[in-house]
Amino acid sequence: MLKTIFPTLGRVRFAVQILMMFVTVYGGALLGSYTVNRISQSLPALSCAYDKMTGDHCILIVNQHLLHHRVGEALVKAQEVTLKVFIPVAVSVGVFFLFFFFLNKMFCGWVCPLGTVQELLYRIGRRLGRPLNRFNPKNVGRVRPVKWLMLLVLVLALPVMAGMGVVGNELGDPFCQVCPSRIATTLLTADSEQIAVRTSTTVNFALGALGNAMFGFIIIAALAARQPFCRICPMLSWNALFQKLSPMRLVKKDAHEKCEKCGVCEKACPMDIHEIGTQFGKKAFHEDCTLCGRCAEYCPDDDVIQIKFFGIKLFGSSREYYKKRVKMETPEGTQKKRVIEIKPGKPENV
Amino acid sequence: MNLNVILLGALLAASPVIAAPGGKPATDMSGGHGHAAMMRDMGKANSWTLYPTLKARMSGENRETMKTAIVPQNIVVANIDAWSNNLKDENGYRLLSMDMGGAMLDKPANGGFHWLAAREEQGETVRVASIVQAFGGNGGKDPTGMFMRQKHELEIIPLPFPREHSRYRANEDWKFLVRFNGQPLAGQKVQLETSNGSMAEFVSDAEGMVKVHVPDDFAAEEEQPAAGGHNHGARRAADLVLATEYADGGKTYLTAFNSSYGPNAFDKRSMAMGLGFTLLGMLGAVPLLRKRKNEQKAGEADNA
Repeated sequence: MLKTIFPTLGRVRFAVQILMMFVTVYGGALLGSYTVNRISQSLPALSCAYDKMTGDHCILIVNQHLLHHRVGEALVKAQEVTLKVFIPVAVSVGVFFLFFFFLNKMFCGWVCPLGTVQELLYRIGRRLGRPLNRFNPKNVGRVRPVKWLMLLVLVLALPVMAGMGVVGNELGDPFCQVCPSRIATTLLTADSEQIAVRTSTTVNFALGALGNAMFGFIIIAALAARQPFCRICPMLSWNALFQKLSPMRLVKKDAHEKCEKCGVCEKACPMDIHEIGTQFGKKAFHEDCTLCGRCAEYCPDDDVIQIKFFGIKLFGSSREYYKKRVKMETPEGTQKKRVIEIKPGKPENV
Repeated sequence: MNLNVILLGALLAASPVIAAPGGKPATDMSGGHGHAAMMRDMGKANSWTLYPTLKARMSGENRETMKTAIVPQNIVVANIDAWSNNLKDENGYRLLSMDMGGAMLDKPANGGFHWLAAREEQGETVRVASIVQAFGGNGGKDPTGMFMRQKHELEIIPLPFPREHSRYRANEDWKFLVRFNGQPLAGQKVQLETSNGSMAEFVSDAEGMVKVHVPDDFAAEEEQPAAGGHNHGARRAADLVLATEYADGGKTYLTAFNSSYGPNAFDKRSMAMGLGFTLLGMLGAVPLLRKRKNEQKAGEADNA
């Protein structure tokens, strides 16, 4: 029964994504208006606080507020830099880590509502026959540092500086102001407020304009490129900071002679992590990996790529699974046309 | 120690009280931190309504030492009833005695919602003023139980009250339950008055629910002075009060619920600009949608 409903890991992930989309986008409406105050407020996914129906808040808005309101202000009043400043930061990060410990970057690949929206758009793009734009091994390196820059500048530096009074208060949560999830998730709740650009100050306007332009770009780009925002998302870099501390891992064999000529896993990777095909062992679990598991699904050899938790295999590549998977969908994500064979014969019950 | 206890403790400690600290004004559930605006409100007389109201006044240099004084207006009482959303806690219900500056409400360690009410009984008339005071977030408990607990004879109960990062705003509809002795009142008239001068009347439905439309009555040109500290740009706010009257057993009951509200969602926002920049971004991505020649050939070959 379960195998019929969830024949592949991809189908399981899709079901989880849709379920988590309801929690992160509509959780408050489904589970009660005050649910948002009671789960964690430190979720390692872009569950937007501007969404009035959300079931939980993303860690990044909490970080920005802490740095803005606590650390920045306290740095100005150095005598107040005490446990009351750092404990809240530590606790907030600690709560985040409790989640993260068990699922690692699966929050990106399985939970994040913006990730799900981009995947759905990509599927639509396949239906519409749009091309697939990919980063090749030569140019993918150019985009990868952007996520660290986003984290450093928008999530860490500017909120602290706003708290210190070095920059205006409008820069207290600058990432939220440019985050496409803010607009996407609020629009999904039929709330159009966030797509209207704030005009109260020049900085607000500039951030809003940038955020809207980015949102527009992402929703069109997602039709022809996989996970366009994920590549520069500071949540990806934030999660990458803790990636090695979780027992949930992507594990690849230390050496496998067929990998050099194959490369199917590279094609399957929505984040264009070419290292999954060219590297082995720990190096194959790249900082951009969202643990979506597609590389393991599309690896044609037994147990070369595995998802493990505390060393226990949760899912491993296999030839049989690969054969079944490619019949349904190409590694690039295009759904195969299903051919229904109708065999001639005498009609029954006539 | 039980893992659940550790987890719960961690979750509570990570509340927005810590994350975005500072007690919010009782009259400003914006999720923001307009402390300068709170200070300006101190000492203002309530001249915009004759209904009994409660005013939460914040004082103190910073959010750690900030105190909340609950000041009754248009009602004379010796005590304020205070319910916390942790009803089973030892501070689940408290009687706050009036002092010179009002009844002082401590900020609980875990923050959360408080229901505050003043009850005045003179002869055959019972008057009640009520507000909700939220201390910026995670009290660990859903406040619905606190809201639904019967606290007085005639009650106006917000269902729901604006949560974190939300508040009453102009041009929005919010639901309230009107009930008497715990039973919903159908067809009950509820009056709305705002400090911006609006008045309206609403009638409860068969379940005692009344849908209140918050009037869009802020002056368009109103400018707020720049605020210091970490004020999020001097939020504009006004006060509203809902009141209803009911006679029973020879007594007349008047109950009011007051809160603050902000301008409509699109105040100081431009939808045209928003759509324009979104469109610009979309146009920027259009080249990605175009098929390259070699891909077209490959597609044709596949079709063939």
